[in-house]
Amino acid sequence: MKRKVLLSVMIMILSFTTIWAAGQTEGSAPAELEKVDFLLNWKITGDHAVYYVAQKFGWFQEEGLDVNIIVGQGSGYSVQAIDSGKADIAISDAPVPITNREKGANVKIIGIIFDKHPNCSFFWKDSGITKPQDLAGKTIAVPATDGHKVMWPAFAKQVGVDPDSVKFVNIEPAAKVSALASRNADVVFELYTGKPFMEKAIPADQLGYFVWADYGFNAYAHSYITSDETIASNPEMLRKFLKAVYRAWDYTLQHPEEAIDILSEYHPINKADYLANLKVVMEFFQTDRYKNNGIGYIDPTRIRETYNLVDQYQQKLSFPVEDCYDDSFLPSPMYKYNF
Amino acid sequence: MGKSVTAFIKKIAPKLLYFFLFLAVWQAVVMVFKIKVFILPSPIAVFQHLLDPSIAVQYDWWHHIGATLMEVLVSFAATAVVGIALAILISWSRLFSQLLSPIIILFNSLPKIALAPLFLIWFGYGFLPNILVAFMIAFFPVIINTSAGLMAVEDDLLDLVRYLNASKLQVFMKIRIPNSLPYIFAGLKISATMCVVGSIVGEFIAAEKGLGYLLRDAQAFIDTPTMFACLLLLSAIGLALFSFIGFLEKICMPWEHVQVEK
Amino acid sequence: MEKFARVSATMIKLGRFVRRSVVDNYKSILVIVGFFLLWEFSVRILHTPEFVLPTPSSAIAHLFFKQADANYNWALHIRTTVYEFLIGFCVTAVSGVGLAIVIVWSKRFKNLSMPMFTFINSLPIIAIAPIILLWMGYGIKTNILIAFLVSFFPVIINTMTGLDSIEDDLLDLVRYLHASKLQIFLKIRIPNSLPYIFSGLKICSTMSIVGAIVGEFIASDRGLGYIIINSQYAMDTPPIFSALIVISLAGAALYWVVALFERLLMPWAFKSQKA
Repeated sequence: MKRKVLLSVMIMILSFTTIWAAGQTEGSAPAELEKVDFLLNWKITGDHAVYYVAQKFGWFQEEGLDVNIIVGQGSGYSVQAIDSGKADIAISDAPVPITNREKGANVKIIGIIFDKHPNCSFFWKDSGITKPQDLAGKTIAVPATDGHKVMWPAFAKQVGVDPDSVKFVNIEPAAKVSALASRNADVVFELYTGKPFMEKAIPADQLGYFVWADYGFNAYAHSYITSDETIASNPEMLRKFLKAVYRAWDYTLQHPEEAIDILSEYHPINKADYLANLKVVMEFFQTDRYKNNGIGYIDPTRIRETYNLVDQYQQKLSFPVEDCYDDSFLPSPMYKYNF
Repeated sequence: MGKSVTAFIKKIAPKLLYFFLFLAVWQAVVMVFKIKVFILPSPIAVFQHLLDPSIAVQYDWWHHIGATLMEVLVSFAATAVVGIALAILISWSRLFSQLLSPIIILFNSLPKIALAPLFLIWFGYGFLPNILVAFMIAFFPVIINTSAGLMAVEDDLLDLVRYLNASKLQVFMKIRIPNSLPYIFAGLKISATMCVVGSIVGEFIAAEKGLGYLLRDAQAFIDTPTMFACLLLLSAIGLALFSFIGFLEKICMPWEHVQVEK
Repeated sequence: MEKFARVSATMIKLGRFVRRSVVDNYKSILVIVGFFLLWEFSVRILHTPEFVLPTPSSAIAHLFFKQADANYNWALHIRTTVYEFLIGFCVTAVSGVGLAIVIVWSKRFKNLSMPMFTFINSLPIIAIAPIILLWMGYGIKTNILIAFLVSFFPVIINTMTGLDSIEDDLLDLVRYLHASKLQIFLKIRIPNSLPYIFSGLKICSTMSIVGAIVGEFIASDRGLGYIIINSQYAMDTPPIFSALIVISLAGAALYWVVALFERLLMPWAFKSQKA
């Protein structure tokens, strides 16, 4: 008898939890603000602090927006999400939306993040590698979905290396540092902004690297993207969003410590690590273009170079370069970076 | 001979029918709703990337299928042997049960992929590390089920044979092990599919070939037909291994499953 | 007065139960403690760098003591994960057993669904979670679905095997006595399958937490899985291991709760252990 009671109790608990779980819905936000789903490119990094700065100071709300910041899954996923309407605005590595526009994704670039391309290759100094041409025949560890691997054929051909002369080992993003530290790979591709983390494992005097931009790789990197539908139906929202975001960039570039403090209120980050990360990010904003034209400026020459890179080395493009971006939503006046 | 072939076909036919029905519905949905290829590819696109020579050749399918298949089979063999052996050890000796069980249970609650950087440093990458990861992911069901099977002997039967002065070893060999066969086979079936998952997790951690490697490469280019083709192949491998174990089960325990379903 | 007596009697029973569990299983507790000590000393003696493996003391310190440089907000993340994984387990347990019953009842349904379930279970969830995310969006339902997909298979397989493993003689006997299919099901198949079901639930318990964590890796910005993936980027390893210790203990705790229920509901199965 006792057993039957126990069994029935167990079944009841399980059943009630199931029924209750099925009825769960997510909470909702105040109705007066316009809801915007903003998708990041990856998990939280130092350069994501800006969005939380804008959130904390209420700059999104000032523009009448209620922004939901969503942690991302990679540039490819950002394009998929924008095109299928799962997000309104997203961050993506510039070549990705361009390539996929050809495949039918109706996405456009509306603002730039990194002005100098942060792609980088890391290796042990004692491996003898000093320049990109030395990569031929080496083993390179990089996550398959990483922008580095996708753009490697383009960069390789630019510097005169046969792209197939290297051996790739696909790794989990978390294993980048370990792959190099354990010498399981000769080279690791990682953004230069990840250098502080590399240095946790490999002393700075033994860590060799070169930044692709220093060898002529002049494409655009992380950018804000949105869909053609949003551009047609809600251009005002895009303007307001970018205004708040670039205002936050302007603030963050001048107050990085505070930005990281704010970020740590929203996410479980190690402040010292992320501050080092953000300071490196700032180096990629310190260009003449951002000084003179403003943060986020889409340079027609560079976007054309990005377009040509894709067209030559990745995917023949059937649409004109003007179709892949729209700079009419950037704030005016632009926030200039006086570094 | 002819009879068993027709019986086999009769068994497979409804399952194949449902599979083709599923493919047809999938194709229809993609076409009717005009779903874009990088959101959901159509089955035709998937099979093209797999079978159409002009498209498929760039993926070097056999190279990758071979790598993953080897990992799955070897890890499954290791899982079966070591898993059953450990379970016998745990059931035989209360001491070993107390020593080993907590470690096994605590270990199995860990998501192995979280230890990726550690594995890379300790084991490097290649065939053997992938098998190790697959084993670590798949061994638990075999141990749990085998132990349960060895333990679940009726009291009356045990009392009887002890009354007849059966030794512990005799009880083990002649009663516990035969009794646990259904449990063991159920455990092996579960582990079979987990070996597939485990091999891929190993490949995701670090690999230079295999279906997991190809899957990630395809993901990078949002090449969804190839991604789905990889997933299809992985499921096929899992299904094949699962069916093979079911087949072995029928041979080892022909007396089971003779039910008359109304 | 009588109520007070009953309550205190239960408390005493509970106390005795706890003490007996500890006494009976002290070797297990020693093994666990020993493992942590081994870990601590190996790292110290071998001077393993922190980015490879931190000491357990460092991991535990990150869990309990406020860190100068970071605000991990453990309470929120632990709560989120435990919530997801317990709900996921309950949903999986109920639906898994339910589905298995339907499968054994109807051969047609079995032919339709078994290949599909085997198919689904062979897919590495870490590969298909982004696809699920694209279709379903973020939210606790997605996380529970992912935990379900990872842990439902053992429950179904084991329950099915249990419902099927009836001795022929017994079946013949009750059919001769004109038992209906439903009667056979309720009175013979289901009770017989209890040991199988519990084994299935034990396997499912540890896999539910793995599923919940993998779900968080991909589809969440909260929870212990999220802490792990966030800390991995910065190579901040102590909180990773803090999270792993909590995850491990949570999974084991659920396993032992299931084992406890198994003992309570099938006491006859454990007498044979005292050999």
